[in-house]
Amino acid sequence: MDILSNLELGFSVALSLQNLFYCFVGVLLGTLIGVLPGLGPVATIAMLLPITFGLPPVSALIMLAGIYYGAQYGGSTTAILINLPGESSSVVTALDGYQMARQGRAGVALATAALGSFFAGSVATLLLALFAPPLADLALQFGAPEYFALMVLGLIASVALASGSVLKALAMVVLGILLGIAGQDVYTGVPRFTFDITDLADGIEFVALAMGVFGLGEIIRNLEDEHTRSVGVQKVTGLMLTREDFRRIVGPVLRGTALGSLLGILPGGGAMLSSFASYSIEKKISKTPQRFGKGAIEGVAGPESANNAGAQTSFIPMLTLGIPSNPVMALMIGALIIQGIVPGPNVVNEKPDLFWGIIASMWIGNFMLVLLNLPLIGIWVRLLTVPYHVLYPLIVGFCCIGVYSVNNNVFDVFAMALFGVVGYVLVKLECEPAPLLLGFIIGPMLEEYLRRAMLISRGDPLVFFTRPLSASLLLLALAALVVVLLPSVRKTRDEAFKE
Amino acid sequence: MSRFIRNPKDVITGGLLLALASMFAYLSLDLPMGSAVRMGPGYFPLMLAGLLALLGLLVLIGGLRFEDAGEPLSLAAIPWRALGLVTLAVVVFGLGIRPLGLGAAMGLSVFLSALASRRFRLPTALLLTALMVAFAWLVFIKALGLPLPMRGPWLGGY
Amino acid sequence: MTHPNPRMAAASTEAAPRPSATRRMVVLACAALAALAIPFSPARAQTYPDRPITMVVPFAAGGPTDTVARLIAESMSKTLGQQVVVENVGGAGGTRGAGQVAKAAPDGYTILLHHIGQATSATLYRKLPYNVLTDFVEIGLVTDVPMTVIGKKDLPPTTITELVSYVKENKEKVIYGNAGVGSASHLCGMLLMSALASPMTTVPYQGTGPAMNDLVGGQIDLMCDQSTNTTGQIKAGKVKAYGVTTPTRVKSLPDLPTFGESGVKNFEVAVWHGAYAPKGTSPEVVAKLNNALRVALQDPKVIARFADLGTEPVSQDRASPEAHKAFLEAEVAKWKPIIEQAGIYAD
Repeated sequence: MDILSNLELGFSVALSLQNLFYCFVGVLLGTLIGVLPGLGPVATIAMLLPITFGLPPVSALIMLAGIYYGAQYGGSTTAILINLPGESSSVVTALDGYQMARQGRAGVALATAALGSFFAGSVATLLLALFAPPLADLALQFGAPEYFALMVLGLIASVALASGSVLKALAMVVLGILLGIAGQDVYTGVPRFTFDITDLADGIEFVALAMGVFGLGEIIRNLEDEHTRSVGVQKVTGLMLTREDFRRIVGPVLRGTALGSLLGILPGGGAMLSSFASYSIEKKISKTPQRFGKGAIEGVAGPESANNAGAQTSFIPMLTLGIPSNPVMALMIGALIIQGIVPGPNVVNEKPDLFWGIIASMWIGNFMLVLLNLPLIGIWVRLLTVPYHVLYPLIVGFCCIGVYSVNNNVFDVFAMALFGVVGYVLVKLECEPAPLLLGFIIGPMLEEYLRRAMLISRGDPLVFFTRPLSASLLLLALAALVVVLLPSVRKTRDEAFKE
Repeated sequence: MSRFIRNPKDVITGGLLLALASMFAYLSLDLPMGSAVRMGPGYFPLMLAGLLALLGLLVLIGGLRFEDAGEPLSLAAIPWRALGLVTLAVVVFGLGIRPLGLGAAMGLSVFLSALASRRFRLPTALLLTALMVAFAWLVFIKALGLPLPMRGPWLGGY
Repeated sequence: MTHPNPRMAAASTEAAPRPSATRRMVVLACAALAALAIPFSPARAQTYPDRPITMVVPFAAGGPTDTVARLIAESMSKTLGQQVVVENVGGAGGTRGAGQVAKAAPDGYTILLHHIGQATSATLYRKLPYNVLTDFVEIGLVTDVPMTVIGKKDLPPTTITELVSYVKENKEKVIYGNAGVGSASHLCGMLLMSALASPMTTVPYQGTGPAMNDLVGGQIDLMCDQSTNTTGQIKAGKVKAYGVTTPTRVKSLPDLPTFGESGVKNFEVAVWHGAYAPKGTSPEVVAKLNNALRVALQDPKVIARFADLGTEPVSQDRASPEAHKAFLEAEVAKWKPIIEQAGIYAD
C-alpha cells in the first residue's frame, strides 16, 4: 500500500525530537491564544512568522498548523465559561455551553468539547491522508451558484438557532446581514453604510460585534440584579461525563465530524457554516428540542466536533492545490514562500516529507491537545468559583486587548463598547443575538455569490437549477424551509417557549 | 399594561426594527441600484431593508395583540451605573491605548469596570487592577510579543 | 510604536547556519534578557537607530507584498543593528496602512513598504486623506514582480496571438477574474482591456485565493496576477499560461513569452515595490535606511528568495530615493487616464 509507506514517512518526520517539540510549542501557544478572547490564530501566526525563518520548513509549518488547530480547542473555553466567543465557530458553543456552566456542568461541557474535538480531528486527519486529492477536486466543483445555494440553506437552518420567537429570529438574521454588508462593496468599491468613516471601509469587525453583544452584554445584564439574584453558577457537579452523557453525544459527534469534514474543504466560508449547521441539525432531529439553549450537551458536542473537523480539512486546498482557503492558510503559504518553497499542486510530489509530515503531526498534535486540555478542565472550573464581581473586570480587560489586537485599530474597541449596549438592549427585548451573528457572517457572502453567479451566467437565474449540485442544495433548503414552517413543528416550538 | 399595548417588549422591538429599516433604506437609496442581472451596490440592501420593515411591522402588530409571557420590562431595573461604567471602561481603553500604552489603558479600564459593581471595594479593585496589568505585560507583551508599548508617548515611552 | 520583541530579536541575531532547536531556545532566552535591558531614550540622527523600526505593510500577512517586506526587513535588521519589525496594517486597498505612516512621527522608526498601489491609489481614491506625492519621502525601489496572464485549462487559445483574437471576438463573453478593486490583478485587467481595446466581463473576488480557485475549477476564463501567485499552478499544469507582462522573460518561467514579443503594445505592467518614510524625515536617516535597503538587495539570500518568487531586486541605480521619486511620479501619471477611462473608483 502506497498510503502506508507515505504515512510511515510522515510519522518518521513528525516523530523526530525537534518536530515533536515544535508541534508541542504550536498546540500550547494555540491553546493559549484560543483561550484569550479576541486574540486569534491570524494575529499570532503573523507575529511568529519571523521565528520560523530560522527553522526547517517542515518544523515551521508543523508549529504554525499546531497554533491553528490548537486555537480551535482553546476557543470554546471562554465561550463555555463566561459566554465570550472569540471566534465565529465558538458562537454556537456559547449557546448551550454557557448554560451548562451556569448549571454547574462546566467541566462536563469542556470535557465534551475536548473529546468531541479530538475524535473529529483524528477522523478528519485520516480523511486528509486518504482522500486529499479527490476532496480538493470536489471543492473545485463549487462555483458561485453552489455557494449561494449553500448560504441560503445555512440561513434557513439558522432560524433553529433561536429558542424564542421565529419572527424576531428572522428579523435578527436580516439585521445581521445588513450590518454584515456595511463597508466597501466588493464589486464597485462604493462604500455602503459607512457614514464617511474610513475605519468602516472594510466593514464592522466580527470580533467587536461578537464580544460586544455576547460578552459585554452579558456582563451588564449580570450586574443588573446582582443583589437580588445569584449571578454565579450553581455548585460544580462532577467533571466527567456520565454514561448518559456519553450516550447523548455519540450521534452529534459523528454527524458533526462528517459535516465539518465536508464543509471544511470549501474555501470561502464553508468551515464557518459547519458549526452552525451542526447545531441546527441536532436541534431539529432531537426528540427534546426544548432543551436546546438551556444547556443541552448535544449542542456543545455537535458544533465543537464540526468546527475541529473543519479546521483539519481546510488544509486540503492549501496542501494539495496551493490555494489558501482562509487567512491562516494564506499566512502558511507566505511562510512556505519565505522558506523557498513555491506552493502549488506539485508540493505533494516534490516535497513528500513536508506534506506527509504535516499530516502525521496533526494527529500527534490532536493527541497532545486532548492530553493537555483534559487536566486543564479542573483549573478552568475552579476559575468559576471566583466571585463574579472579581471576575468580570478581568473579562472586560481581556475583551479590550483582544479586540484591539485583531487589527491594531482603536475603532474596533469603540465599536465593541457600542455593541455591548446593543447586546444588553437585545437581551432586554428578548431578541437573540446568535441569529444576528450568523446573518452577519453569511450576509456578505450571500450577496457576493449571488451577484457573481448572476454576472458569470449573464443574468440567467436558471443557473441555480441547471447545475446539479446547486439544484440539490436548493432543494434541501426548500425542505428545511418546509420543516421550519410546518405547523406541527411550530407547535412544539411554541410549547417549548412557554415552558 | 395598557389595553392597547399587550406586550411592550415586542412593540418596542417592532418600532426599533422599523426605524432601522427606514435608516438602511434611506442610506441604500443613495447607492446605484443596477438591475437584477447586474446588481448595483444598493439592490441587495434595499431588498433587505424592505424585508426588515415587514418583519418589524409583524412583530409590532404581534405586540399589540398578544400578551407577554416572559418577565415584565421596567425602566427602573436598568442598571445605569453598570451600563455607563462598563461602556466607559472600554472607551477609555480605546482612547488610552496609543497615547498611554497598554499598562495604563488596561489599568484604567479594569478599575473603571470594577466600579460598576455594587460590591465594589477599593482594595480588591486595586489588587485586581495590578494583577491584570502584570498579567497583560507578561502574556501579551513578553510571551506573545504584541507590537504595543507598555508605556505610551505621554508617559515617556514611545 | 513598537516594543522590542525578544523572539524577533533572536531571529535576527542568528545569521548564518541553522542552529539546533535547543540552541536556538538558549539564544532566545539570552536575547530576551538583553532586550529587557535596552534603555528607552529619545531618537537622534547620530545614534539612529537605537530601537526597533516598524515597517508597515498595508496588506494582510502572508501575501506577496508581505513576503517581500519580511525578506527585506530581515536583511535590513542586520545592517542597521536594530530589528526591523513588520506590522501588517491591512484595509482599504492599502490606504489605511499608508495613511498611518503618512501621519507617523518623521523619526525613521516608522516606514512603509508599499507596491504599485501607492501610485494608483492617488487616482482610485478621490477622498484620500494624504497626498501620495508630497506626504512621503522615498527611500528606494525594491523589486518589480512580473505578472502573468493565465487562463482556465480548457480555454481554446494557446498562444498570445490566439488569445488576443479570442478576446476581441468574444468580448464580454470572456470572464476575467481579479482579486478586488485596486488590486494588482484589477490594474492588469484594466490595462489589458485598454491595450486590446476590447471589454471583458470583470468578476471581482476578495483576494487572489478564491479567484484562483475558480480559475482552476474552470468557473472563470482569464486572470492576470503576480508570478508569485501563479507559478505553482502554471508548473503543475492546472492553468494555461499565456505570457508575462514585463519587457523581458522571467527566469523561473523561461518558456513563457512576453506580450511585447508577440506584438501586443502598451501592455507592460509589473508590481513594483518601494519603501517610504513620512514627510520630514531627516536626510541622514533616509540615507541610512537607503543604505540598508541597498545592502539587502545584494544579500544572496534575498536574491535567492526573490528568484523563487519569479523576480529579482532592482538595479542599484534604481534603488536610490531620487530614482524612486521620479518613477512614482511617472507611474501616477501613467495610471491616471487608464483608471479614469475605466470609471472605477474605490471610494
